[in-house]
Amino acid sequence: MTQVSERILILDGASLPGREQVGNKAASIAQMRALGLPVPPAFVLPIDECRRYHAAGGELDAEAWAAVRAGIEHLERETGRSFGDPASPLLVSVRSAAAISMPGMMDTVLNLGMTDALERGLAALSGDPGFARDTHARFCHEFGHIVLGADVDPGDDPAAVCAAVLKDTGQAVPGDPWEQLRAAIHAVFGSWSSRRAVAYRRHWGIPEDGGTAVVVQAMAFGNLGGRSGTGVVFTRNPLTGAPEVYGEWLAGGQGEDVVSGTHDPRPVAELAEQLPELHAELMEAAQLLESERGDMQDIEFTIEAGRLYLLQTRTAKRSPLAAVRIAADLVREGVTGPEAALRQVSPEQVQAVLAPTLAPDTLAGAEVLARGTPACPGVSSGRAAPDARAGSGSGEGGPVVLVRPTTSPEDVDAMVEAVAVVTERGGATSHAAVVTRALGRPSVVGVGDGVTGGWVGSEVTVDGSGGVVYAGRLPTRQTDADDVPGLAELLGWARERSPVTVGEGVDEVRDLDGLGLRLEPDHPVDAATLEAGVHGARAVRGTVLNSPEGARAAIVAGVKTVVPLPGQRPEVLLLRLAQAGLED
Amino acid sequence: MTDPELLAVHGLVIKKAGSATAVAELLGATSKEIATALDAAVQAGRVVGANGTFMVTPAGRDWLEQRYPDAFAGFRSDPAAGEAYAGFERINGKLLALMTDWQMMPAGSERVPNDHSDHDYDTEVIDRLGGLHERAERPLEQFAGLEPRLGRYWERLEVAYDRALAGEYDWVSSARIASYHTTWYELHEDLLRMLGREREEQP
Repeated sequence: MTQVSERILILDGASLPGREQVGNKAASIAQMRALGLPVPPAFVLPIDECRRYHAAGGELDAEAWAAVRAGIEHLERETGRSFGDPASPLLVSVRSAAAISMPGMMDTVLNLGMTDALERGLAALSGDPGFARDTHARFCHEFGHIVLGADVDPGDDPAAVCAAVLKDTGQAVPGDPWEQLRAAIHAVFGSWSSRRAVAYRRHWGIPEDGGTAVVVQAMAFGNLGGRSGTGVVFTRNPLTGAPEVYGEWLAGGQGEDVVSGTHDPRPVAELAEQLPELHAELMEAAQLLESERGDMQDIEFTIEAGRLYLLQTRTAKRSPLAAVRIAADLVREGVTGPEAALRQVSPEQVQAVLAPTLAPDTLAGAEVLARGTPACPGVSSGRAAPDARAGSGSGEGGPVVLVRPTTSPEDVDAMVEAVAVVTERGGATSHAAVVTRALGRPSVVGVGDGVTGGWVGSEVTVDGSGGVVYAGRLPTRQTDADDVPGLAELLGWARERSPVTVGEGVDEVRDLDGLGLRLEPDHPVDAATLEAGVHGARAVRGTVLNSPEGARAAIVAGVKTVVPLPGQRPEVLLLRLAQAGLED
Repeated sequence: MTDPELLAVHGLVIKKAGSATAVAELLGATSKEIATALDAAVQAGRVVGANGTFMVTPAGRDWLEQRYPDAFAGFRSDPAAGEAYAGFERINGKLLALMTDWQMMPAGSERVPNDHSDHDYDTEVIDRLGGLHERAERPLEQFAGLEPRLGRYWERLEVAYDRALAGEYDWVSSARIASYHTTWYELHEDLLRMLGREREEQP
């Protein structure tokens, strides 16, 4: 390792510092560098420095500060740029890195080192004064918000944003890059004792004597020169799970441009046409990361003047369908084993892929009443009614689809009663969308003013997955395990490993709900009571068995068979039992 | 606002349907005061009640709309209320987006329901909630300075946030309890009615 000081570690991958020493993010950067992956140069002030900082009453001693300066010099050598130099500006990100992810730790500050002079320098280098000014304004807002605690609106004029920060907090965004850096490091170490972090540790019994490390990393620019840009790739398709790289690429874009949705990124396949050798390098890196980590990755990257940088990788979020297929594919490809696959898929995901959908052959003749934003997935049919009040069109006690211009808290009871909800106004964050998701009610929002006018009293079918409302009561289709790619294999491994079978046709089934052992999220039954209730039974059924605690109790008590209740999917119970069996 | 009946009906319309105790909890009043006021409102036809649960009638809603301009004249004309509301609005959009993130996780360009199996994801969202919660303190203090009963919302938000932080995830957005989202939404409704503004749905 490049040793520039005792008090910092250069994250070049020459050694692999532990998470306990430098926190997750720093350990991950070192690990990626050790794999030979192109990550922007970085150094870390280890967690020990946080303890020293607090022991000294919230001060960085002279030696630690000298080490930070040496670290920046290292980044300057690696990048060929210079901190605070408008002719060749080095900008850095500053972030916290704790060993345990915890609320209250300081958010990342990007583009640190930005000043009025640097803005002019960056404008000249990029040939894009608008970008330079925007980066500067964003930095002022971010630094003001994260480091100084300002609550001001973002803007596009750096001077105005800085003035608002000063007015709000009484503190100015420093014009000197070194002062910015010092303040940001103070803010990271200080965040260890923020109100949120202290409250979290108290709730979870986490010791107070830990700390957080500070990672300082060079920024890469996707808008300097022609062969530049930024993007995100998933190593597999996060919707279907198909083994194909999926992602977006924005030529000439920088950082948040892709995520913020203000620009129009292109499919990452276009990178293969524009910069084939860099696309190939990216694909190779993506595959290496996936096999090293044993799971699908979500990778942010930037290309700066023909050089690829990986900014971040993490385990990718995916649809339930993709989760099942990917877990099985990774075993087939030899990346993981069956037990890893069983841990990668949650019973809720299996439940979701097996949920009823609209039968496809009925769609051809179906009358579409309206289309809107899909807000909560699932399909339900009922009689349209505008209101919860008795006699308002909800019919004779049959299922009701609540149909309203918008919803407000006064409608929650009606939403609880309804089998689905449709609103005329509002989007994915409207009240109706948020509340129906909490209740698990299929919903479609924002179908348009006046659209639902004539529906009251008639039967409608709401497809909350597709965002469509149909006339009449459409048949739904039960999904078969064989229709879901990878599910049969996954269930096979679950069957081999589950100590308890799931099935019907057993005499003398003990009914746990009848014994008062119910699944109640607000008042869970404790493990000992559960085990005592299950003890001695050869076969059991109950709502509580569709929970990790219930599955564990059945295994511990030596039950032979779990019998599904009406509505419970045996596949889901089986995965729960297999997972509980892996814990032992 | 000094008229106890107006206050009770105002509290009930925010709750829509509820008991005197639930309305009292919202307003920081005693159940007895509210029960008396709601009984008077029932006599006047502004509220209907059955089995201890009350609901505002259409006539009661019209009555509220007529009374609001006078009842909240001072609040509506106070620039400090407008300034505090601007602070609230800045946080409101972010809070609603956060509630979406809590319930629906991004998966590529789409979203899938959050089944809370990803601890780091949930911790990150709760952390952002903490950031917004801290930012909300100032506008809420300003509101409480102008109208002391509004201070009750901060107490309820503190309870909901603290329980969410302790891993009781229902306290983030469950519609069945006084979760963070329930309380926030009631506060928003209260402020809109006091200020005589319309709710702007997110596009």
